[in-house]
Amino acid sequence: MDNFLRAQLPRVAALAMAGVSLFAVSAAQAKQLTVWCWDPNFNVAIMKEAGARYTKTHPDTTFNIVDFAKADVEQKLQTGLSAGGTGLPDIVLIEDYGAQKYLQSFPGAFAEMSGKVDYSGFAPYKVNLMTVDGKVYGMPFDSGVTGMYYRKDYLEAAGFKPADMQNITWDRFIEIGKAVEAKTGKKMMGLDLNDAGIVRIMMQSAGGWYFDKDGNPSITDNPALKASLETLGKIISNNVYKPAAGWANWVGTFTSGDVAAVTTGVWITGTVKAQADQSGKWGVAPIPSLDVEGAGHASNLGGSSWYVLANSQGKDEAIDFLNEIYAKDIDFYQKILVDRGAVGSLLAARTGIAYAESDPFFGGEKVWQNFADWLAKVPPVNYGIFTNEADAAVIAQIPAIAKGGSVDDALKAIEAQVKAQAQ
Amino acid sequence: MSDRLKATIVTIATYGFVGVMSFISVFPFLWMILNTTNTSIDIMQGRLSMGSALSANIRNFFAATNVPLIFWNSTKIAILSTVLTLAVSSLAGYGFEMFRSRMRERVFQAILLTLMIPFAALMIPLFVIMGRAGLIDTHIAVVLPTIGSAFIIFYFRQSTKAFPSELRDAAKVDGLKEWQIFLFIYVPVMRSTYAAAFIIVFMTAWNNYLWPLIVLQSNETKTIPLLIYSQASAYYPDFGVVMVGVVLATLPTLIVFFLMQRQFVQGMLGSVK
Amino acid sequence: MALARPGSIRRYYDINGWLFVGPALALICLFLVYPIFWSLWMSFHSGRGALVKFVGFGNIQRLMGDAVFIQALTNTITFFVVQVPIMILLALMLASILNSPKLVGRDLFRTAIFLPCVTSLIAYSALFKGMFTDDGIINSALHALHIISSPIPWRADPFWAKVLIIIAITWRWTGYNMIFYLAAMQNIDRSIYEAARIDGISAWGRFFHITIPMLKPVILFTSVISTIGTLQLFDEVINITEGGPSNATLTLSLYIYYLTFKFMPNLGYAATVSYVIVILVALLAFLQFYAARERDQ
Repeated sequence: MDNFLRAQLPRVAALAMAGVSLFAVSAAQAKQLTVWCWDPNFNVAIMKEAGARYTKTHPDTTFNIVDFAKADVEQKLQTGLSAGGTGLPDIVLIEDYGAQKYLQSFPGAFAEMSGKVDYSGFAPYKVNLMTVDGKVYGMPFDSGVTGMYYRKDYLEAAGFKPADMQNITWDRFIEIGKAVEAKTGKKMMGLDLNDAGIVRIMMQSAGGWYFDKDGNPSITDNPALKASLETLGKIISNNVYKPAAGWANWVGTFTSGDVAAVTTGVWITGTVKAQADQSGKWGVAPIPSLDVEGAGHASNLGGSSWYVLANSQGKDEAIDFLNEIYAKDIDFYQKILVDRGAVGSLLAARTGIAYAESDPFFGGEKVWQNFADWLAKVPPVNYGIFTNEADAAVIAQIPAIAKGGSVDDALKAIEAQVKAQAQ
Repeated sequence: MSDRLKATIVTIATYGFVGVMSFISVFPFLWMILNTTNTSIDIMQGRLSMGSALSANIRNFFAATNVPLIFWNSTKIAILSTVLTLAVSSLAGYGFEMFRSRMRERVFQAILLTLMIPFAALMIPLFVIMGRAGLIDTHIAVVLPTIGSAFIIFYFRQSTKAFPSELRDAAKVDGLKEWQIFLFIYVPVMRSTYAAAFIIVFMTAWNNYLWPLIVLQSNETKTIPLLIYSQASAYYPDFGVVMVGVVLATLPTLIVFFLMQRQFVQGMLGSVK
Repeated sequence: MALARPGSIRRYYDINGWLFVGPALALICLFLVYPIFWSLWMSFHSGRGALVKFVGFGNIQRLMGDAVFIQALTNTITFFVVQVPIMILLALMLASILNSPKLVGRDLFRTAIFLPCVTSLIAYSALFKGMFTDDGIINSALHALHIISSPIPWRADPFWAKVLIIIAITWRWTGYNMIFYLAAMQNIDRSIYEAARIDGISAWGRFFHITIPMLKPVILFTSVISTIGTLQLFDEVINITEGGPSNATLTLSLYIYYLTFKFMPNLGYAATVSYVIVILVALLAFLQFYAARERDQ
């Protein structure tokens, strides 16, 4: 090195040191929160929006949102938890059916948020499912409040007006289905016989679940479940459904206009609206009700919430972030409703402008208002910790029910399997 | 039946059989390529004709994430895995077969036994090991456990049984050391075995899903299978985009296969005689 | 083969033997030994998630009474018994045909048959799901060829769902095994075939008396590998049929996956089921080795 440079060296070194220390100081305050979630167009996009809002007011906190397939998030989460808590993010998205399973089998893994978040502002059924021993552990996110989306044009062709679709029973639904098929050749709904989603919707609409309030299996003495299985049997035997081979296929049944209705969670709205050429042809009605005591027209399918990992370095920032955006930012909820069709669980958000809007896609109906109303009526149930096992047991009996087998026998078989698996 | 007639029938049957097998094998691939030109809805409806959505699908695929980076990740992992696995495992396979001893037979059988344990049972403790070593979310963690491949060791051992011992005897007479025999005689002679192993290991490493899923955490380290699965399992997957991804993901393995398969054709060129 | 060697030669063999085998052995010890012992240890425990407690042989008792496990076991063995022989035979025939220098378009056929191995899991499971629906291509084609009169309920019927899986596995992996056979066939000297042909031995004769015996090590290899693969069957059943209908295509690996990730995580019990697979595979592999044992001189 020549003399000139050697003379400069101390100055360069000093500058470098200053730079490093400056960097170190700001690095100590800057936090990057890692978030795991699925679905690039829904959860990921929404979280990015939330993150952007928070970073605007808290420039030191940035977000690294990593997206995996839904099953993969669960796999990675469970592996990390089973390995003692290594390799986990700061915030993770967990589907509501599985919340209790994680909270109870990995105690202490998630950060308690009861002291810091005002849970009274959220739909009670969401808060219920993330509570263990009186402590609340997550931030409620999107609701899977259900609605019956139907094709007004097909129903009109069969002689039914929107008024005929309001507050009907499943038996009536099946009747309408037969008429629609006779007049238009279209089946009433798509059904994946390997999926128990429709059973869960029906069951919860009557306030029932696979488990009672204490989490014990409630199968053979469960009128809601029995009625749901009977209804499923009737749908199949009356052949008012189009068989679907898996999720994507099922989505295809209504996006391609092959079926006249789809009964599922509100998160499907984005998918329905993606077919621009079907604008104005869809309407939304309350879901049909079962023929049992306590049956209503409100239910839930899916929905998930955000959880903070207890040994995350950015735990406090994460809780603060979730609190500020998801528990308080009403404008945020309007935006995600309009952009993504996401119905949040924050009750106050329902007073926002977007929720009162009429939607041209649905022929000017105020669909969001409807969903917001139904959200408050969803019967809270205890999902328990063995929902997946019960689901599997039900699915195993669907072929028997489809062949016209006795529902009571199916229930006994389901109970046997659930009791054996639920350990 | 005359001999010529019989021969013709055999020929027709042969070509027919191979032809049908080939068609059955190729059809899904053609379907995949066809679908890169269709929209998601058309694909779900089972449309069998060309569409016009190719450029849209390609654009959407590349817009979603940093595709070149993910491609590079997969390539890096696959090449590293393949080269290291072939080196280490062929050495072992050769060693087990050429230098037999009662002790090493037992060790070999134990190694074979490890093949029989489903990966799901080993995943969590392996994850713990990587965690303690601070290697979570690195590509090294993806490659390391696969290098000592019981599968490839087994393959090379079996293939080595066909390696003529006269070659080795002759080489020793010529005064070659063991490692020289391996490098300069065994490797060239077993060329087609190496080629087959290269294809298999590359393919496995390229398509490896479960372990990279568990051990990689960030968008920057992801590999291609993770990307495609993530896209295919959205609430409303865009299958046109997924098909583009799948076709692009399949290309490198195809290229490797084309390159390596020439080794099969060449066979042994005179070194035996 | 002389295992009882004079001292210095044995030492020479030993040193070289361990040197060659060393690196692989070290890596395997590093990355497999701990996990294996951990999962063995876990199989004596049971519990939800992190709340495990020692149960001794409790998991094995649970296995005996677990109807779903029994079904998974039966399914897995059924797949093994039916699928592996079919696939190996098919691959051998194809390799033999494609090995002949007279065949026109060999390269093309070889590439074509290998393609399924390279096709991604998503693509081909989506395709199989789509092709085998009640109104799908397969049913339409079978109907047009007058082989069936009413559509086969591939995914809804327990028997046909199993057939569907077997078709999928065979389609996917035959090319894979074919590659191994082709590589080994390349190592067989052409002159042996020439001599046999001159001696008047037919093509079948050459196949059975020259090719197969010379390929015995590789056939054993693919047979053991296929045994392991089919007994650990997972990818196809989770993507195409999800273990249904009513657990007709549930395999042991899929059951382990459900026990670990879908149901309440019981890692101990899942580990126990894993070892059932290990024992099963070890038994069958040992049988195959024994059947193919070499007579050492």
